[in-house]
Amino acid sequence: MPVDYGEADILLVEDNPTDLELTLRVFKKHQLANRIEVARDGVEALDLLFGRGAPPERGSIRIPKVILLDLKLPKIGGLEVLRRIKSDARTRTIPVVVLTSSQEEQDLVRSYQLGVNSYIVKPVNFDQFTDCLRQIGIYWLFCNAPLNIDVA
Amino acid sequence: MKMGTLHDTAEEKQEATQTSLVVPGGSKIIPLAERLHSETELKTLLREVIDLKAALDEHAIVAITDPQGRITYVNEKFCAISKYSREELLGQDHRLINSGIHPPEFIRHLWATISSGEVWHGEIKNRAKDGSFYWVETTIVPFLNDHGTPRQYVAIRADITARKKAEAAAAQLAAIVESSDDAIVGKDLNGIVTSWNAGAEKMFGYRAAEMTGESIRRLIPPERHDEETHILRQIRRGVCVRHFETVRLRQDGTSLNVSVTVSAIRDSGGKIIGASKVARDVTDEKRISESLAASELRYRRLFETAQDGILIVDAQTGMVANVNPSLITTLGVSHEQFLAKPIWELGLFNDVWATEKEFTELKDKRVRYEHLPLQTRDGRRIEVEFVSNVYLVNGAKVIQCNIRDVTARRQAEEALQQLNASLEQRVLDRTLQLESANRELEAFSYSVSHDLRAPVRAISGFSRIVREDHSAALEAEGLRYLGLVEKSALQMGQLIDDLLTFSRTGRQALRVRTVSTTDVVNACLADLQASNTDRRMVISVGELPDCEADCSLLRQVWFNLLENAFKYTQKCDPAVITIGARQEAGGNSYFVQDNGAGFDMKYADKLFGVFQRLHLAEEYEGTGVGLALVRRILQRHGGRVWTEAKPNEGATFHFALTGGPDAG
Repeated sequence: MPVDYGEADILLVEDNPTDLELTLRVFKKHQLANRIEVARDGVEALDLLFGRGAPPERGSIRIPKVILLDLKLPKIGGLEVLRRIKSDARTRTIPVVVLTSSQEEQDLVRSYQLGVNSYIVKPVNFDQFTDCLRQIGIYWLFCNAPLNIDVA
Repeated sequence: MKMGTLHDTAEEKQEATQTSLVVPGGSKIIPLAERLHSETELKTLLREVIDLKAALDEHAIVAITDPQGRITYVNEKFCAISKYSREELLGQDHRLINSGIHPPEFIRHLWATISSGEVWHGEIKNRAKDGSFYWVETTIVPFLNDHGTPRQYVAIRADITARKKAEAAAAQLAAIVESSDDAIVGKDLNGIVTSWNAGAEKMFGYRAAEMTGESIRRLIPPERHDEETHILRQIRRGVCVRHFETVRLRQDGTSLNVSVTVSAIRDSGGKIIGASKVARDVTDEKRISESLAASELRYRRLFETAQDGILIVDAQTGMVANVNPSLITTLGVSHEQFLAKPIWELGLFNDVWATEKEFTELKDKRVRYEHLPLQTRDGRRIEVEFVSNVYLVNGAKVIQCNIRDVTARRQAEEALQQLNASLEQRVLDRTLQLESANRELEAFSYSVSHDLRAPVRAISGFSRIVREDHSAALEAEGLRYLGLVEKSALQMGQLIDDLLTFSRTGRQALRVRTVSTTDVVNACLADLQASNTDRRMVISVGELPDCEADCSLLRQVWFNLLENAFKYTQKCDPAVITIGARQEAGGNSYFVQDNGAGFDMKYADKLFGVFQRLHLAEEYEGTGVGLALVRRILQRHGGRVWTEAKPNEGATFHFALTGGPDAG
C-alpha cells in the first residue's frame, strides 16, 4: 500500500463498513478533507504509521494532521494502537481522537491515561453524528495548529 | 467420875432432891425426893443413874456445857461423830463444830431459849474435824440454879445425817419431777392417776387436782384405748415400755404427738402397784424430723436423677462417699468400684488428681475444667465439664464434684464450626459466581454499546441519505415509510442509551458527598422548563434539606421524577407540580406531586420495572427505564422510593436516601 502519508490529512481507523461510509460521506460532503487514509484494523493502522515488519527507520514516518481511532478493532485493539502511538517519540505528537460507540468509563479512563487528545462517543442519531464529524474536521484540520517540527 | 455432871456437889444433890429431872416436854419422870429414903435406896438410885447414863451413851450423843457455852463433858459418841478427841473438845465451845450453814438468828434463838430455862429442840448441821458435815437432832436441856438461871446445859443428840441425805435426795427428785418439761404421771394398775406434775399440767392442760383420781384414758383418743390396755398388761408383767410414740389429747381437744416411757412402780415388798409414765411432747420434733426427711428425700431424688454426674469425696481420706447413677452410667464404673479405693487410685480423674499428693494439694481448692477428657471403662473418650467444691458437713470436709458430659455439646460446636466454614466457602463460591456473572454482564453491555449502536446509526444514516439523495424517486407513501424507519431508529437508539445508563448505574462506584438538593432541583427544573415554555404550569418548591448522595446520580433521580411530572401533566391546564421534603424517622424524604394522569395503584409494583409502562407510547413518550433507574439509584444509596396515585388524579412520588431494603 504505497501511500504518501505525508500528504494525508486524516488517518481514519474504522472497521465498521457502514460507519466508514457514513464518515467518509460527511467529510466529503462538507469538503473537510481532501485526503483520508483508512485502516480497517489495528495492525493496518500501525503498519501505515510505522511500516510493515521490523521497526522502521527514522524518517519513514508520515504524520497525518489527526488520527480518528475506533476502539473496538479486529486483531490489535484501539487502546493498544493508542498506546503504541503515544509511547513512540516519533508519533507521540500526532493528535489522536478516539471516535467510538463505547460510553464505558473504563475506556474513557484508559484512553486519557494513554494520552488521547479527545474522546468522542459516536451519536446514534445521524443528524448529531454529522454535526459531530463536521466539528471534528473543522477543529483539527483548520483550528488546531499542528506541530510540524521534528521533536524526536 | 464424870457422873457428877448431873450432881456435882452435896448441895447440888440436896437441891436435886427438891427438883425434878426435866425431860423434853417438861414432864417430871423421876420424883427423886420420894425415893431418897435410905442409903440403900440411894445406892440403888445411883446404880439406876449409872445404868441410865450407860444406856444414854449407847444411844445418844451427849455433851454438857457451862453457862458460857464451854464444853465440860462429851461422851464417846460425840467424839466419834465429831472426829475430835475428848481433850480437844473440853473447854471449847460449840463454834468448833459450827458448820456455818445456820443463820445467826437460828443460833440467837437457840441461846435465847435455853438461857431463859426453856428446852430447845431442833436439827443442827455440824462440821467434823475432817471437814465433813453431819446432821444431829438435838435436844438441849438447861439446868437452873437457885436463882433460876442456867447452871449448865445438857445436849442430847441423835445422828440424822442419813435421814437428811435421804430427805435432800427426795426433795431434789421432787424438784426435778416438778420442774421437768416432760409430763411425769403416776397411775395405779387400773390406770387411775395418782400423781400429776407441772409438766403434765402444762402439756395436757389439766390441773393436778383435776386429774388425780381420774382415769388416764381421758388423755387417750378413743381409737387408741387399746394402747392403754396393752401398756397396763405389760406393766403388770414388769415390762417397761420405752419411747412409745403415740398421740394424746389435750383438755382443749387438740392432739399432740408424744413419746411415752412407762415403768412399773413396786412397793417395798417388790410388788407392782402402779406405773410411772413420762411423756414427752414430740410434735415439734416430729415436724422437724418429717421436714428433714422430706428435704432429704428431695435432695436424694435430685442427686439420683441429676443429668450431671455428682461425686462426693471425703477430703480427709480421698474415699468416695457417694456417687450418683448418672456418673455410674457415664463412666461405666459401678458404685462398689467407686467406693473401693481412694480417688487417685481409681484412675478415672488422672488429669485432676493422679496422686495422693495432688489430691492433698488441691483438696481445699475449687477446681474447674471446661473441657476435661475422660476415658470410660469401656474405652470411650468423652469430654466433661468438671467443677469441684469443698464444704463442711458436720465439721468434716467433703469435696463435691459435678461432672457434665459435654461430648455431644462439643460435637455440636464442631459441627457448627464446620457448617460455618462450609457456609463461608459457599458464600465465597457464590460471590465468585456473581462476580463472574457481573463480568459477563459488563461484557454484554459493552458489546451492546458497540455492536447495537452501529447498525442503528447505519439505519438512521442511510435513511437520511436516501431522503437527501433519492427522495425524488420515492412516492409519498414511500417517504412516509422512510420517516417511520428513521423514527424507529431514533427510538431504538434511545432505548439502547437508556439501557446502558441503567446498566452502568448498577456498577459504577458511588461518590457520596453533601449535595444541595435545592440546587439540583432548580437545575433540573430549568432544563425542563426550557422545553416547556408554551405550557401553563404552577410549580412550587418547598424547603429542601441537603443530603448525602452521589451528585450526578441524585440529579438523575430528580430529573427523571420531574420529567415524569412534566410529561404526565401535559394535558392539564394548568399543570400543578409540588416539590417538597418531609421529616421521617430515619431521615428526610422528598416528594414530587403532580395533578396529571396518575395511575391505578394495583399496577404500582410494575412501575419500577425496566421497560414497564402504564401508558401508551402514543399518549406519553418514553422507554420505561426512567423509574427503574430511579429505584436502582436509590437502592444503591440504601434508600427507597414509593408512590401514591389515582387514575386521572395525579401521582406523588416519594423517595428517601435511607431505610431501603439494602440499607446498612
